Order: sequence, then structure tokens, then C-alpha cells
Amino acid sequence: MNSWKLWMLLLQGAGLTVAVSLLSIAIGLAIGAVISAGMLSSKQVFAVPSRLFVSFFRGVPLLVQLLLIYNLLPAIGINVSSVGAAITGLSLCTAAYQAENLRGGLMSVPKGLIEAAEMAGLNATQQFRRIRLPIAFRLTLPAIINEAIMILKASSLVSVVGVVELTRMTQDLSASTYRPLELFAMAGVIYFIINWGLSFIGSYTENAIRWGRP
Amino acid sequence: MSHPAVTIRGLHKSFGAVEVLRGIDLDIPRAQVTCLIGPSGSGKSTLLRCMAFLEETSSGSILIDDAPLGFRTHADGSRTRLPAADIRTARRKIGMVFQQFNLWPHMTALGNVSEALKTVQKLGRREAEDRAMVQLKKVGLAERADHFPSQLSGGQQQRVAIARALALEPEIMLFDEPTSSLDPELTGEVLNVMRALADDGMTMVVVSHEIGFSASVGQKIAFLDQGQLLLTGTPTEVFGKPRHPRLDQFLETYLDRGAAMLL
Amino acid sequence: MRFDPALIIHHLPSILSGLSITILTWLIGTIGAVLVGFVIASARRFGPRPLGMALGAIVEVIRGTPFLIQLFLLYFGGPYIGLFLDPLPAGLLGLTVYGSAYFSEIFRGGFEAVPVGHIEAAECVGLNRLQIVKRILLPEMSMLVLPSAVNMAILLIKETAVLSIITVPELTMIVSAIGSEYYAFVESLFLLALFYWALVELCGFLGRKAEAKLSHFRLSAS
Repeated sequence: MNSWKLWMLLLQGAGLTVAVSLLSIAIGLAIGAVISAGMLSSKQVFAVPSRLFVSFFRGVPLLVQLLLIYNLLPAIGINVSSVGAAITGLSLCTAAYQAENLRGGLMSVPKGLIEAAEMAGLNATQQFRRIRLPIAFRLTLPAIINEAIMILKASSLVSVVGVVELTRMTQDLSASTYRPLELFAMAGVIYFIINWGLSFIGSYTENAIRWGRP
Repeated sequence: MSHPAVTIRGLHKSFGAVEVLRGIDLDIPRAQVTCLIGPSGSGKSTLLRCMAFLEETSSGSILIDDAPLGFRTHADGSRTRLPAADIRTARRKIGMVFQQFNLWPHMTALGNVSEALKTVQKLGRREAEDRAMVQLKKVGLAERADHFPSQLSGGQQQRVAIARALALEPEIMLFDEPTSSLDPELTGEVLNVMRALADDGMTMVVVSHEIGFSASVGQKIAFLDQGQLLLTGTPTEVFGKPRHPRLDQFLETYLDRGAAMLL
Repeated sequence: MRFDPALIIHHLPSILSGLSITILTWLIGTIGAVLVGFVIASARRFGPRPLGMALGAIVEVIRGTPFLIQLFLLYFGGPYIGLFLDPLPAGLLGLTVYGSAYFSEIFRGGFEAVPVGHIEAAECVGLNRLQIVKRILLPEMSMLVLPSAVNMAILLIKETAVLSIITVPELTMIVSAIGSEYYAFVESLFLLALFYWALVELCGFLGRKAEAKLSHFRLSAS
């Protein structure tokens, strides 16, 4: 196999890595926002399960979570592809971390801003969606981006459930070409570049959302 | 005299073991400016926040236009808490202006003023923003509509906050030390907006350290000391001589706030 | 439910050996990572500038790439440059290198967080450089970095599971092997998850306790 073809295959794997990661980051953020609201709820029916969710998915190795979900879903009658199982696992795991990030942000939204919303007649859901969440999101944006980068790197673990993303592609190629040293180094470079792109998007977003501050 | 806009009877409020309000009876007359004055810690801000139900009272009652706020008092004196929707309904008549402005930092001035029109009153974006612009014009900030709070001076922020409260067309406006976090040279623009509002016949309750404003614009003065109403009456009655010794003591510390004209 | 508790009893010896390998790799890997991380942070702070920059670049590369890729590079790529390692030593080395990059950043932040005034005060009362490092900088820094260091150590517990992929016979590998042998994958993985969960929560609890105990130091340090 010539090196041009190797690069193309690696990039194909990288494409799947990016797609799986970005989807998981987006889904994880959405779930994380809901869970963070649950964690701060005064109703124990919401607070207790939310805290357990966060504690569980932050307490169990992602690899074990992925293996569990990959085997559990078919066992309970849900047939998803390995990509589907991978996205489910990554989303749930990153949701727990993002929920914890957002919880911190939600708690540091000044009380007066909530009182103003209260006086303007916004109900609890409107207050959360329109006032608290956007402000908490901006406050915790650096941590949210950090977690997004973590999950991009952690996405290499979905190689074990048969998703032929960058890591699995590299493994397969190195098994057939006997050039693991170059190939894994190349994969490392690609991961590094994707990460760099992600943190670039992150700082661009941070700069774009400034609400008039210099 | 017409029916009062707000009727407060036997109001008590404690924070833990500390009793901040100790039996307040007060009527807020309609279409007049009532000023709550008193030393810091006298409970005047707490009383105002109780009128907005931002603080839950410990006992007693507050009626807004005869409708109970927050709690329904039964014949035997016991109280039941009203559901959140009822509290929102009662609050619809009340506009609140805070010491710290509390403008939402992620929305422009126009966004702040039109937010509740859109999300609570469910107006279309166009109509909500048109109505918000009317209020921004009223406080003289139409040309700053697209600015974020961080791009406005303190005085401008507070005027946007007043417009935000006015947009919901309240019957009663509550002002919680509206000029206390402003640089001295910026208080004038806010007080002018409040003065114009008073001239329009708005029912206003103002907690303020601006004694000069209270004496000239206020029609009813309530002097609080240690959680109790010590004096109520017209400015002439309250500030005129002979003066209550506690009030005299209080005014002396405010000579630099425009109280000199009273001495 | 295919899961039979007798399975656990039957395989207890291998489960216990997997558990001890998990704990040992974690302990050795974490201690190694703390030490190497500290050396890196110190070299970047006190060493010559080119060395600091080179170390900084290496740290960035390690933090910017997945742990699994680093393990594969070491385990499968190592032999091509004469580095023949069994799974366990490869895993230990990988864990140490990976963790050291993160710990070095924690220590670097700690060095920077010690107020300059404290160092200046020490200089003024006549402490020499070594004394300042030993008596002021290190004690203050260790209080400041404790929470994030505990966090990182807990993160490394979970990373030990990744070592199963290069066939280190730690707990995840043993349990999933048993699970697939007896077609009791879901049940055994669930038990495994519960075990890690309990371990992580326990370590978090102990970490918070240690922080609370030491917090009066931090108060007097600030």
C-alpha cells in the first residue's frame, strides 16, 4: 500500500472520529443541561436521579460504559449499530461532566438576575431557559470546551466496540502493513490537529459571545 | 381618599432569629409617591421586597388592590401559601427596580425590555420590540437600544431597568435604592425619569437615601427605625419642626445627601 | 438472567488477581506520574529555557493525543525501535507518561499560584533559594494543588481500564473474559461498573476528607 492511500484511509477514519465526537458533544451538552437543572431542583424526584446519573457516569471508566452499553442495548431489545452504541455511550458520559460544569455555572448566576426575571413574570422553565442557562453556559464555556476536547480524545475507545474510526483504522492498517510506529504516530498527529481545530472553535466561540464586553 | 393601592397589616419578617420587620401597618396611596426612609438595617428594603413577594413574610398580610399577595389569611388568622401562578398574577401589577439594576447581561437594552413581552405575554417579536422601544424612548435611551448592559453607564442601565419594568404596564412601581450603586453625577438622570413618572400619576414606592428627592417628590413619607414605622405623613408633617429626635439624628448623617435644605 | 453468583466464587482467584493488578498499576502509575510530573514542572520553572520549551511541547503532545494511541505506539511501535515490553510494564510506563503530563500542568499552576509577595517576604528575612523552595514554595504549593491532584489521581483509576486493550490482565480484562466465556457479558460488566463506581466514590470521599483536614493550612497560607 502506498503512503498516499494510507493517508486517505486514515483521514477517512478521522472523518468518522470527528462525526462521532461532534454528535456526542452536542447530544451530551443537551442532556447535560437537563441533568444540571435536575441536580439543582428542590424536588428530590429530580435531584436524586440526576446526582446518581452524574456520579455513575463520572465514576465508571468510559471503556466499561461502552462495553456495557454495546452489550446491554441488544440484550434489552434495542438493536443499534456499533456507531449508535458508541454515540450513546460517549453522549451519556460527557453529559455527566457537562452537567457538573453547568451546575457550577448555574449556581454562580447572580441572584438578582433571577429576581428580575421573577418580577418580569417568567415562570421557572422560562427563567431557566432564557436567563440562567445562557449565562451559565457563557460562564462555564472554557470548561465545556475542555470537556469537548476530552471526549474527542476518549472517542478513540469506541474502537473496541468495532467502530472503524481513526484508532481502529490505524490498528487495522498497522496489522496489515507492519508499520505501527509510523501509523500510530500519524494518528497521533491527526488527533492533535483535530484537537487544535476544536480548541480554535472554542476560543472563537468565547470571543464571539461577549455581550458587549471589550 | 380613594382606596389604597397596597394595604399592609401586622407585617412581621424574620431572618432566622433576627426580626427585621416588627409589625408594620401601612397604606400605599394610589397615584402618589410614597418614600420609605430610615437608617440602614431599619428594614425598609425588606419591606419593599415583601411588597414584591421576593421575601416571604413571617406573618401579617399584604393586599394589592384587595387581592392577597403570597398568602391567604383566614378568619382565624392562619395563612395558606398561594400557588405560584397566583403569585405571578398578583405580581403583574407590580414593577420592580433594583439597586443593582439586574439587567440580563446576555441581552441588549431592547432585549431586556422586550423579553417578558415575548415570553410571558406571548407578543410577536415585532410588536414586543415596538412596545419596548416606546419605553426606551420614555427613559431617553432609544438610540442605545442595541447596546448590551456592559456598554452602558450605571445611570443608563438603571433607566433601561425602569423601562423594562414599565413595559409590563404595572400599576405600582417599587424602587429599591435605585441610585445607591451609581456615581453621584449619574443619579440625576435616574431621579429625573422617576420624577417624570410621578408627574404622570404612577403609584410609586421608593426606598432611597436621596432625602432631597423624598422631600420634594414624595407625597407620603414613612420613616422606619429598627423594624417599626416610627412616623408617617406628608413631607411637611414628617420633616417639619418640631421633629422626632430619631429622625433628627438620622437626618444629621445625611446632610450631604440634600437633607441640608430641610434644616 | 444467566448470571450465576457461583461464577464469582469459582473465579475468585483470577478476579482477585485482576483487582490487585488494577490497584497496583494505579498506585505505581500515579506515584510515578506525580514524581515525573513534579520533575517536569520544576525543570520548566527553574531549568534552562530551551529545556523548558522542549518539555512544554512534549506535555502538549501528550495532552493533545488519546491515551490509547500512546499505549499502542509504545506497545506495538516500541519493538521497532528496540523497546520490547510485556503488556504490564508497557501499561505502567504508558500510564506514568500520560499522567505525568497532566500532573506537571497541575504543579506548574501551583507554582504560579503562590503569591510573589510570599517569596519576597522570605527573601527579606534572609532565606536562601533552596530554603525558600523547601520551606515556602513547596508547602504552599502542595496545599494549593491538592484538590486537582486528587481529581487527577481518581481519573487515573479509570484509565487503568484502558490497559485491558493491550491485554494487561487487570480487572476489566479478567471480568470481560469471564463474561464472554459464560455469555454473561451484561451482568458481569454491570458488576464491574458498580465496582469502579464504588472505588471512585470512595477515593473521592477520602480525598475530600484529606482536603478538609488540611484546609486550615491553606487558610494560614493565604
